[in-house]
Amino acid sequence: MNLEQELKLQAWLDGELPPAEAARLAQTAQDDPRARQLVAELTAVKTALAGNELERKVPDTREFYWSQIQRRIQREETRSVPVATSISALLARWRRLIAPMAGALAGAALLVVSIRQSVPVPAFVETTVTSSDFDALTYHDQSSGMTVVWLKYREQEPAPSEEAPDIFDVR
Amino acid sequence: MTSSRTTESKPAEPRLRLTRRWLQILAALFLTALFAGPTRAEDIKIEALLIWGSNLDTNLNAKVQDTRVTEALAKAFKWKNYSQITNRTAIIAGDATQTLEMSPKCSIKVKNLGAGKVQVECFGDGKFVSRGDYSLAEGKWFTLAGPDKNDSAWFIVMRSRNPKGGD
Repeated sequence: MNLEQELKLQAWLDGELPPAEAARLAQTAQDDPRARQLVAELTAVKTALAGNELERKVPDTREFYWSQIQRRIQREETRSVPVATSISALLARWRRLIAPMAGALAGAALLVVSIRQSVPVPAFVETTVTSSDFDALTYHDQSSGMTVVWLKYREQEPAPSEEAPDIFDVR
Repeated sequence: MTSSRTTESKPAEPRLRLTRRWLQILAALFLTALFAGPTRAEDIKIEALLIWGSNLDTNLNAKVQDTRVTEALAKAFKWKNYSQITNRTAIIAGDATQTLEMSPKCSIKVKNLGAGKVQVECFGDGKFVSRGDYSLAEGKWFTLAGPDKNDSAWFIVMRSRNPKGGD
């Protein structure tokens, strides 16, 4: 006799089976000695429990009594969830979000970079402006990579002279 | 009356976790390249030399140390002797401006435009003389120059001293 048959016998004793199956099990309980023995044990236990169960009177009504139990169970369930578990669950949820977020950010970054690269950058042009007292002449020496801006005082035409104002006085 | 139930926890797939980690790293790299790079111009280290050019044999003790400078100047101008009067070095942050006193009467204001470019304003005796935007990229340098007394000339040579730019 296996566990399923034992459970069936218990259900039969408790009157939980449909009539056809109940009749079949009643026959089994008569024919099978092991089944008969189990039925006898179960019946004895049932009788003992039913006969010796203490009757306790609850001062509250039935509905109020069970609602209290239900509330307490709910409270205990809420309390039994540890804080660490809720934090780790939150982290796990974030981790699940990070992958698509990272992908979206990478895509956005690629888009911005490609847009930036498609915008033409104006070429850098070396320019020089002078005060109204000076003229500028620019000279490029490609071999040495040197650019010279020659600043000439306007009153010094055509060549530098000793009368030119000495505003730099390098010596 | 016993019953039993067994549960098997499914192990997390390492391959999926690896993919997620790579995605995170990629996103971080993109964001770094996007926002950290172009937003701030790099610092630039510049050297400015005030040089006096003449055909007189004076100031021979103050010869320009870098012969490439004198060679380039001698190739372009008529003067044979070049004396180094002042040597100034400055590190200018991105978009920052710094004033360099080259002589009691001459100063330059240098603004870092980023990407090896600078804007230089030249002042003589406190008065504005010139302003220009110049490149100090690798191998490039520029010179502000003008005539001086006794058929001589002054030169302000500027170049980058960054590891990647200038000489």
